Amino acid sequence: MEVVPISIAAIAALLSVVATYLAVRSRDMLAAVVFSAVQSTAYALIYYVLMAPDIVLVYIPVSVGILPAVAVLLIKKTERYES
Amino acid sequence: MGRVSGMSDLVITLYTIVVLSLVVNIGISLYGVFTRPSLVKKFICLTIFSDTLNSFAIAIGFRRVSDTYPSIAVLSSVPEELSELATFAETAVDPVPQALVLTAIVIGLAVYMFLVGLIVMYYRHYKTTHVRVVEGGSVG
Repeated sequence: MEVVPISIAAIAALLSVVATYLAVRSRDMLAAVVFSAVQSTAYALIYYVLMAPDIVLVYIPVSVGILPAVAVLLIKKTERYES
Repeated sequence: MGRVSGMSDLVITLYTIVVLSLVVNIGISLYGVFTRPSLVKKFICLTIFSDTLNSFAIAIGFRRVSDTYPSIAVLSSVPEELSELATFAETAVDPVPQALVLTAIVIGLAVYMFLVGLIVMYYRHYKTTHVRVVEGGSVG
């Protein structure tokens, strides 16, 4: 019974490593924002398994909702592709 | 410290995978902050770095208790007697790092909004978000 949640946390951690690498390497800023949101979702799963559900309730609206929205607005105001 | 059960080694290995992935994330995001020329990409990498440090703070307060682990904390029952309260205090995780991380997330959001305003002002002044324009006088 105990192995299942911690395996979910391990899979989410490996997914967050892949998402972080793709967010750093991609030339398109919108793709980087989407990969950053994927990384934040994986972190929310890790927090839930580590018994911090109050952090999850704050972290999901902030890091998956508000921050990508503000970043997309910022990209619209500035430039999309990294030269 | 003794071994809790036969699956303890596997659980410890998986938990080590989680912590090592967070360390790798710190390395990748700091590489992005230091080497990417665009300010927007630096901003995205900085948010990832901040989230990873918050994850370490939560991992400090975490305590693995095998008997009560699958019960999710939101749906747990309220203790009625003092003995149940003592049991709850023995099996609960440390709430102080969680309160600190909750504060850090909200304060970090305000700091990110300030950074977004600065990046927009930078773009309106220099017509680009490339940082080496200011250093050398030309893009490249």
